[in-house]
Amino acid sequence: MNNAKMWLVVKPTVGIPLFLTGVAVSSFAVHVAVLGKTNWYSNYLVGTLGTYTASADVLPAETQNASLTAPAPAEGQAVLVLLPDGTTARAVLESPVTLAATDGRVPVPIDQ
Amino acid sequence: MPDNDPDKVWPTGLTLREAEEVHSYLIDGTRVFGAIALLAHILVAVTTPWLG
Repeated sequence: MNNAKMWLVVKPTVGIPLFLTGVAVSSFAVHVAVLGKTNWYSNYLVGTLGTYTASADVLPAETQNASLTAPAPAEGQAVLVLLPDGTTARAVLESPVTLAATDGRVPVPIDQ
Repeated sequence: MPDNDPDKVWPTGLTLREAEEVHSYLIDGTRVFGAIALLAHILVAVTTPWLG
């Protein structure tokens, strides 16, 4: 309680609002500075959560050339792809499907 | 020492005992605010890319 004596010379009706205002302004300024210098919150607001970025040295060899990898994508999951020219495209991930015409066999006709 | 007289009324209209009471409320409020802010920052650090 060493600092309690400040209220003997500073009116609490002046000092307490000043103190609370100082806390509010400084904390707001810090949050504005952090969010202004980073992009993850603005990206979140824009809605780019579907994009994945990963460091190449942690990727398996067969994906080294991939510019986008997704951990076990769910069927029908949509991702935002950043194209080399800076534009974006939306892609839907689906499980591989082998068409009958490409597996070398003639499809069995269906009896009518 | 008159400065330590708990019943002396100072220019702000408070006695030393009243000033200590005001200060205790301010300290309590600061501690509650700090605890809530600490919890909020932990949640943000866990759920967002903040702090990597």
